[in-house]
Amino acid sequence: MSLLAAAGPQLSPVGISTGAATLLVGVVMLLHVQFAAFQQGGAILVPLTDFLGMVRKDERQSRFAHGLLKTMAVVFAFGTALAVFAVMVLFTGLWGHFWVKLLRVMFWPLVIEAGAFVTEVAAIYTLYALWDRLAAVRPLRIGLGIVLAIDEFVQMLMINVVASYMLTPRPAFNVPLILFNPTLVPLEIHRLVGNLAFTGALIALVAGVRFLRARTPEERSHADWMGHFGLVIAIALTALQPLIGWEYLKELQLHAYASWYDMMMGGLSVAFLFQIFLLGLIFTAGIFFMWRRVHAAGIRSPILGICALLSLAAWILAAIPYTVGFTYESAVAASANAPIWQGGTIIPFGAMIPWKITALVAMTFVSITAVTVYLKQNSLGHLRWGEARRGQAMLLVTVGVSVSLIMALMGYIRENGRGPFLITGHMLINQQQNFQAPTAPGPALNGAPPSSVGTGPGPQG
Amino acid sequence: MADESTRSPLAQRLTRPVRGPMAALYRWMDSRLGLADLINKGLYEATPRRGAWAYTLGSATLVIIALQIVTGMFLLWTYVPSVTEAWDSLNFIARHDEFAAIVRGMHLWGAYILFVVVGLHMVRTFVSGSYKRPRELNWITGVILFLLVLGLGITGAMLPWDQAAYWTTVVVTNILHYIPVIGHWAREVWRGGNQVGPVTLTRSFAIHIWLLPALLIPMIVAHLYLLRRHGEFGSWVNYDPDATEEELAERMRHAEPPYPAKPTEPAYAVPADLDEFFPSQTAKDGVVSFILVLIIFIMAIAVGSPLEAPANPAILNYVPAPEWFFLPLDQLLVQFPQSWMIPVGVFIIPGLASMILMAVPFLDRSPERRPWKRPELMVPAGFAVFFLLFETMLAVNRLFNL
Repeated sequence: MSLLAAAGPQLSPVGISTGAATLLVGVVMLLHVQFAAFQQGGAILVPLTDFLGMVRKDERQSRFAHGLLKTMAVVFAFGTALAVFAVMVLFTGLWGHFWVKLLRVMFWPLVIEAGAFVTEVAAIYTLYALWDRLAAVRPLRIGLGIVLAIDEFVQMLMINVVASYMLTPRPAFNVPLILFNPTLVPLEIHRLVGNLAFTGALIALVAGVRFLRARTPEERSHADWMGHFGLVIAIALTALQPLIGWEYLKELQLHAYASWYDMMMGGLSVAFLFQIFLLGLIFTAGIFFMWRRVHAAGIRSPILGICALLSLAAWILAAIPYTVGFTYESAVAASANAPIWQGGTIIPFGAMIPWKITALVAMTFVSITAVTVYLKQNSLGHLRWGEARRGQAMLLVTVGVSVSLIMALMGYIRENGRGPFLITGHMLINQQQNFQAPTAPGPALNGAPPSSVGTGPGPQG
Repeated sequence: MADESTRSPLAQRLTRPVRGPMAALYRWMDSRLGLADLINKGLYEATPRRGAWAYTLGSATLVIIALQIVTGMFLLWTYVPSVTEAWDSLNFIARHDEFAAIVRGMHLWGAYILFVVVGLHMVRTFVSGSYKRPRELNWITGVILFLLVLGLGITGAMLPWDQAAYWTTVVVTNILHYIPVIGHWAREVWRGGNQVGPVTLTRSFAIHIWLLPALLIPMIVAHLYLLRRHGEFGSWVNYDPDATEEELAERMRHAEPPYPAKPTEPAYAVPADLDEFFPSQTAKDGVVSFILVLIIFIMAIAVGSPLEAPANPAILNYVPAPEWFFLPLDQLLVQFPQSWMIPVGVFIIPGLASMILMAVPFLDRSPERRPWKRPELMVPAGFAVFFLLFETMLAVNRLFNL
């Protein structure tokens, strides 16, 4: 890790505790992630729904695409403000040592990120300003939407390169290995699918609120359709996440065992248990919505009913904690790692293998079945928009809030999983606040031998 | 379809009767072989007009398979299927025979492109619902062809007898023993004993050049016969399921062979708009096939075909990596590490997937062809495709980070 051990900048540390600096970055970035995730999901859905509106001559899809784009333009402003604040104030001012060294290793991904940001500004505001005028040349508008989607993909990929590198770093001079480190692929797919699902869930959330507040049949009808559209995206894509998440954790187990252990057995296992609880809630609320929504259309669907009950059972099974103590570690420390009927604190039905895995597999297959059956009912023309009930709108709100919570929680787990490191095995969190001036020469950026550039002690020493 | 007067000048030129001195020869041959009938049956048929470019993948598959047979024949002139000579013969090609090196490169890249084209052809057929009655057997023969092509690909990868080939042979032949009841016997038959050795290469070679082609060629003939019998379905865009009975009757009256397809629903018996197979569809087929062969040729020259160090089982630090089209299976093998679970990953899941794929026409018996009206098929298939792509990406990621 010669690059990381290289020269640090002559920055004066800001007088703030590590805990406060961590909290500030955490709050700002977790908020930013929510905005950014919505942007990426929205950027895929805008051209898709605009295209569907064009080929199927469905005014509802076109109206939705326009509404989503307008929301994205507003959200983009907030998200960007947070990102700029984070980079210019928090990273530079509070985490200068880390930030400069990260820039040295991740220079090109961050340059591409910045370039993609400029393209995003151009694409999103062009679409926002010229939406109605571009209606005359619809393929051009859809094409611009696709450019925006690709741009968002590139941005997310570059950020994932940085984030995955921080968790599973590779030798600093092996650029391909730095970029395509072990967790890049699972993280990229996890977030791409997750962002789309998150956007769908937010659409369902907004639709649920609109439905509850609707005064006219037309408002109710559009909100009902919007909720259906968002929920199907949310549940169908979340159904992929147990598999993707499992693979992500497998890579962590292989390449960052301490982080994996912390998430599965250590201090973060409680947060992970809450995450699995939220996942079960999302599936169960979503499938209950489908069942009741079809029922509201006058159709009895025993398969959806069974799916809802199976999902509920899987949720309960998945949410059982493995120990009635705080963590498995604490149970071991107290010599209480025996089943509760033998005086210990272990609940065997809370074990990951086989019980939680069984529950997650069940959630996946039950969700795929439910989405299939629900869409079949829709394809047969059974669902008439506006017939939903208030209870179903509440379920939409539940799914939206749960997905938002799980996004924040996953970000928290991922970022804290590295602790006590900022870059796993190479850079400790607390060293960023107690920075010392460099004293000895280090290697240049291009890998040349040490020159007159000064360097401080290594990140851990 | 266009009549004689409305054909393009090119079409008129290509379809004019044989004249001049060749006419006598043509008549002599025709009277003995029935050439005119054959040509008429082969070329002058109706095809759906809309979406015609999407229907070029089948003929492209046929062209690439033909290319594989021809390049394979050329390779047989030099390749020696023996553990002591196989690697040397290919090394000779790589170092001293530029023409054969290009031919070998075309054989390899032809195989790679073939997997992509066959995959796309199956996706197109699946999405458009072309497997529905009366074309169930077209689909089944197509799935069998796909599996045979996979078999040819993996047995071909065993033949160079370099490190990659050796370990591919070890892993693939070992998978057989997870088959219930006959597994151990099947592995021994292929290997010619307990261990991979000289007999294994001879048998893999025989499977590659004799057994699988002997199954492949009749299956291709059957597939083409069925295609001609029922006609190209095309896609839902060629049909109007909401057409009135009068409209359908009118369409039936103007149907040209091989339409109307039987037995099927009247709405899907005859495409709304017909075109000529020759020269209209064949021209599109020719363009796509030519581009693909050109890509194969360019890749054969630019990238060529690799040859690793000679097989040496004594080298223990060699990390075997499968051919890319077997990466999902390889990843499944990794994901089921416990010995009792390996059969699930390498045999039960792929076996079930193949059986379900073959049974698709019998699982989806509704007349509906529009994909958005068939979520019961499209949603699970979408998840399955995602799973395959995801497993492939994970395998690449894993091998890259070894």
